[in-house]
Amino acid sequence: MFTQHAPRPLAASGLAASGAAAGGLKSGPPRLSLYTHPPDGEASVDELEAFALDRLQVLRAVEDAQLRGRGDDDVRRRIDAALERHLPSHSGRGGGAAARQAAAERRKDTVSHFVLRLAFSRSEDLRTWFVRQETALLRHRFRAADAADRAALLAAAHVPATPLPPAERDARLGPAAAAFYGAHEPVYAVAFERVPALVARAQAVVRAGVAYVAAADVAALAEAAFRDALAAALALCARALPQLGEDERLLPVLLSLGRQSARAEYQPTGAAGALTADAVAPLAAAAFPPCMRHLHAQLVHDRHLRHAGRLQLGLFLKAAGLPLADAMVFWRRAFAGLTDDQFQKAYAYNVRHSYGQEGRRANYTPYSCHRIITASPPGPGDHHGCPFRHHAPDRLRAALHADRLPDADVREIADLARAGHCQVACTRHLEARLAQRRQQPPPPDPAPVPPVTSPNQYLDLLLTDGRGARAEPAAAVLAGAP
Amino acid sequence: MTSDHEDTTTMAVDDGLDEISPMTLGLYYQRLFPHELYYKWLNYNAKTPTNDFTHREFSFTINGDVYLRYQSFTDGADFQRELQKLSPNKIDIGAIFTAQPKYAKTLQPGVFKAVSKELVFDIDMTDYDEVRTCCRGGDICNKCWKFMTVAMHILDKALREDFGFEKIMWVYSGRRGVHCWVCDERARKLDDTGRKAVAGYLTLIRGGAEQGRKVNLSQRAGSHPHVLRSMDIVEDYFEDIVLIDQEVLLTKERWTKILSALPDEELRKTLDARWSKNPDVSSVEKWSEMIDAIDKKASKRGSKFGLATFERDMMLQLIYPRLDENVTTHLGHLLKSPFCIHPKTGRVCTPIGADQFDSYDPMSVPTLSQLLREVNSSSSASQSNGANGSTLMSEHIAIFEKFVATLSPSTNEHTANGSGSGGGGGSLDF
Repeated sequence: MFTQHAPRPLAASGLAASGAAAGGLKSGPPRLSLYTHPPDGEASVDELEAFALDRLQVLRAVEDAQLRGRGDDDVRRRIDAALERHLPSHSGRGGGAAARQAAAERRKDTVSHFVLRLAFSRSEDLRTWFVRQETALLRHRFRAADAADRAALLAAAHVPATPLPPAERDARLGPAAAAFYGAHEPVYAVAFERVPALVARAQAVVRAGVAYVAAADVAALAEAAFRDALAAALALCARALPQLGEDERLLPVLLSLGRQSARAEYQPTGAAGALTADAVAPLAAAAFPPCMRHLHAQLVHDRHLRHAGRLQLGLFLKAAGLPLADAMVFWRRAFAGLTDDQFQKAYAYNVRHSYGQEGRRANYTPYSCHRIITASPPGPGDHHGCPFRHHAPDRLRAALHADRLPDADVREIADLARAGHCQVACTRHLEARLAQRRQQPPPPDPAPVPPVTSPNQYLDLLLTDGRGARAEPAAAVLAGAP
Repeated sequence: MTSDHEDTTTMAVDDGLDEISPMTLGLYYQRLFPHELYYKWLNYNAKTPTNDFTHREFSFTINGDVYLRYQSFTDGADFQRELQKLSPNKIDIGAIFTAQPKYAKTLQPGVFKAVSKELVFDIDMTDYDEVRTCCRGGDICNKCWKFMTVAMHILDKALREDFGFEKIMWVYSGRRGVHCWVCDERARKLDDTGRKAVAGYLTLIRGGAEQGRKVNLSQRAGSHPHVLRSMDIVEDYFEDIVLIDQEVLLTKERWTKILSALPDEELRKTLDARWSKNPDVSSVEKWSEMIDAIDKKASKRGSKFGLATFERDMMLQLIYPRLDENVTTHLGHLLKSPFCIHPKTGRVCTPIGADQFDSYDPMSVPTLSQLLREVNSSSSASQSNGANGSTLMSEHIAIFEKFVATLSPSTNEHTANGSGSGGGGGSLDF
């Protein structure tokens, strides 16, 4: 490879800032790594960039696979394909050339991870995206790894070396444990704070502050350790980043990498021009995604919406182009049962707040699908959330039929939702509605609709006939709407 | 929430004590509010003020709807002074921060962060509106209060046995629910993720208004010790509360809601037809008819998944505690303080003893006007005794005192350096 600049020690190039301490790599790192030590040795800027770009391809494939994959096997296949192409990792057994190749692969794995750490430490959104994809990648690799690699990773994550045998387990937890874990399953005893995801889903029995983790869930322990350590390291990185300002070779590379994270967040297109309070209802019928249409319908029906629902709908409308003054009119009319005084006291503040006019004055962004699906699920009386995730199957099917979608589509969408592929289901829903709007016959070569990642993107896509950036004003589409 | 003066003034008599006003509240904070114990509680019994107290956010609601956030105080006397001066309608307690909250605005963003707080739970009767038939919204009666009894039993046991917490205080919220304050140091140090984990562990009812069946436990989830223990408690109360008191199967509208969650079309139709013909049969009888029919069908091979577990899941759905998760999962979330006067009911938010889950009666909690009349009629000689002078308050304060005595100072906690006017606090005797 042609190098524009002389190679320089990696430690001096700022990578050391993205890890705890420099450690030697002489024996080559194991196949699964928690990336606790930044690489040392030398690398050219071109090499750093090439490695990082390859890893970025993998991380995007990881995200994409989870959004588009149909079933666990399909998700795994998609990630494996990306890994094989951009970031292969062989065992290195057999010595000689194989060992050298494996060492080079490990080096690339480590170097690319640390370059991306720097590139993605810049903002909260980038950090969150990076941690999520890296954790998913580790989970994927752990599932595919052999016993020796797994053991090495667990040891690195300080998971207790030996689990409690079933007899000891039952002595501590009583006979109910056998039904929960299985008669012969050993368990790992750890403080419950270390496995929050397992505790939150009651996947582990907790007794006196100790969580008992089934051997099958032990990857969660390593995952949690990795996620926490990475999030903390990224926060440190963000503080070290300004010191890199003088390095005019690395910084432009990092900035451009960060920009390529693709759909970290929905950016309002603004092309639709302003939406008025009066136009919300017709637009809801014509082009809202199912979650927002449902919220709007409930708001009209109940003349009220609880807090989480107001936020989900309100920020969506804001990003769709509803200005603050119109938002006030919209919500005031919607809460028809209230007196002006009640509305001013209890709700007006919140509307202004979400437009950045009160309190912290933050410019709140609309919720992404990921956030809607994973944030606190709707409780009794709530209507927020994702219909594909949070509605009972029969209610969902009824809603799909009400959209007059063909039976085959209804079946497919309901099946996808039941299998947990909410965003895939929503994308299919969008495709079906696009087909409905185009009437017959469909264009000879319909471009594939990108996966739905945000309700606003769904709206934009439906308004622009599946072609991304909104070209025609919403009014024109509405004129042709049923 | 804002106070509604119209409601509270309709009963006004000449002495003006029925009104919740800066005057009556001032009297309450001066004569009855247990300042000393309150300070001991939030300072965790340390001899001198610690960050637990000085870096704690308080919020006051004054004059109905002016909301003052980020108040903080150097010691108990400072707190008492300000309380009497402002006579807030409501006191909210927030987190302990990296610096004194009153200086938050002078600090650079990012420096001022919440670091700890009691693990809190908020259970609100309005979340039971779809399973109670006696009252709606903000109203409660002795029938639906029993849902709170069950909630306290279930959560208290889980917090103690499963999470190992010991310093747990339950408080009546003054109107239609209960709050829980877990004061163990380990609980106070939980971050948002840890709080979310505990809240998730304790949540069994999932699903919004669009989900008929809100509890659907897998075989493994159903064998979780927390579920088994909770079912033991539920079985003790279910028939009394849900079937006899609430009569959840009495009318067609009511039984349709429950049948809609039953995963068997044929059973739904049969039961609906039978009950429609004979609608006056009691809920107890209808429930057992339904369970018999389910058992018969579920024992056959190839019965639909979820039918055999319907009884357990539906019992949980109808009575298991419903948590307001946001209150629990956010470290910075504020919660109304014990010993506030509820702005609508005028009732004092009093602690509920660990042995009082079944006997506590929210209707008999003293109201502000009752308390002030008692204070007025008692001899003016006992004025300086404060809360000790009130017999109506004494039992509630005794419960609080017993709880506060169990607390001990945080470890690794530095005493606050006497910044501000804290040094002058000694002159105020309380």
